[in-house]
Amino acid sequence: MKHILKYFFSIPLLFSMFLVHAQETVKTKETAPEKPKSEIKKPAGQETATDTILPKTNRYGLRVGVDLYKLTRGFYDKDYKGVEFVGDFRLTKKYYLAAELGFEDKTTDDDRLNSTATGTYIKGGFDYNTYQNWLDMENLITIGLRGGFSTFSQQLNTYKIYNPNPYWGQQTPIVSGEKYNGLTAAWLEVAMGLKAKVFNNVFVGFGVQLKLLVSNKEPGNFENLYIPGFNRTYDGNFGVGFNYTVSYFIPLYKKKVIVPELKNVSPKK
Amino acid sequence: MKKIISFLLVFAFGLSSCEKDDICDPDTPTTPRLVITFYDINNSTLRKRVNNLRVTGKDQELSVVFNESALDDTKYLTSADSIAIPLRTDTDITTYTFINNYGSTNASLVNSDEINFVYSRQNSYVSRACGFKTIFNLSAFQRTDPTGDGVWMQDIFIINPNIELENETHIKVFF
Repeated sequence: MKHILKYFFSIPLLFSMFLVHAQETVKTKETAPEKPKSEIKKPAGQETATDTILPKTNRYGLRVGVDLYKLTRGFYDKDYKGVEFVGDFRLTKKYYLAAELGFEDKTTDDDRLNSTATGTYIKGGFDYNTYQNWLDMENLITIGLRGGFSTFSQQLNTYKIYNPNPYWGQQTPIVSGEKYNGLTAAWLEVAMGLKAKVFNNVFVGFGVQLKLLVSNKEPGNFENLYIPGFNRTYDGNFGVGFNYTVSYFIPLYKKKVIVPELKNVSPKK
Repeated sequence: MKKIISFLLVFAFGLSSCEKDDICDPDTPTTPRLVITFYDINNSTLRKRVNNLRVTGKDQELSVVFNESALDDTKYLTSADSIAIPLRTDTDITTYTFINNYGSTNASLVNSDEINFVYSRQNSYVSRACGFKTIFNLSAFQRTDPTGDGVWMQDIFIINPNIELENETHIKVFF
């Protein structure tokens, strides 16, 4: 665990070195053509107006992170082990390609059943940022859609026989240990999330997901009580999820923001 | 904004529909009892009522309760034409003693028969709340008369060996 944590910190640190470089080079490119402009600036009066408006840029890149809730839950919940990596890539100003990849091992202890589900899952889709950022802020309040798919196995540990007429006494739990392999499930989810930039390229976010199970390969004579990535199953097809992420933004390129409103305003003056 | 509100509504409804599967609904078919229906030996199509029948499992202190509302020992007695008795879910044999005219002042009417029910069991999944149920496949029975007062259950037929539901007769008894 310590090693993993080390890497988590050292990799972003490594990337931050590149970052400083990347930003500097872009700045020098921008400043270089400005210099001759300032020299010619004197005769042209209109130039000053355009110069004061610095070209606003949006940063595009890849954001990768980890779900801290799943990661830390293993420390206090002995029935749970899990990790989820999250990532998104900015496609346009508002749209982000988003994906989650995870592993879960969860023992569900109900009154009459005790079972363990183990498996991996992948979720992919997009996020739409509804938040209007000021200046160079890069916060997100997103609504998104995902498709999720999980392959997992389930082990029935113990079970009880339900007998409404316990004339012969209630039976003690039966130890089964039967394992059902090769189970799959697919679902759709609506994800609502919030990500805030806390400092340089580091984002903290949380999100809730509403899930709708579309396909579920059930074991014979048992049921999928927990699906990795989908979480607990209910009578219907609904499910809910929650995550708390810390992620790192790797800027890849910048795009100038085209502000058509400003152009309309300036000629009026 | 409207979108968010509608999502929250769906979320709330989703949660409210989730909670009820934690309690096993008594109407859910779970481990079934053996249903015995009594018929007239003289007219095989006619159902016949027993009189103060008391059914006790082998080595059990208490008898099977037929009338929950009665306070005294009459709760163990039935005068219906059909009874449902639980089978053991931990072994493949259940033995019951059937005493007809139990507690009758006329001692010659009191008659006790013992029957071994032999079956195979299968544990079948019901739901998260109910867990598993046991269903039975009745293979044989042996009738004995330990008290030596003759048999009152003259003919016994297995009608339906698959004991899965309680809304059907599994065994017909003619007396």
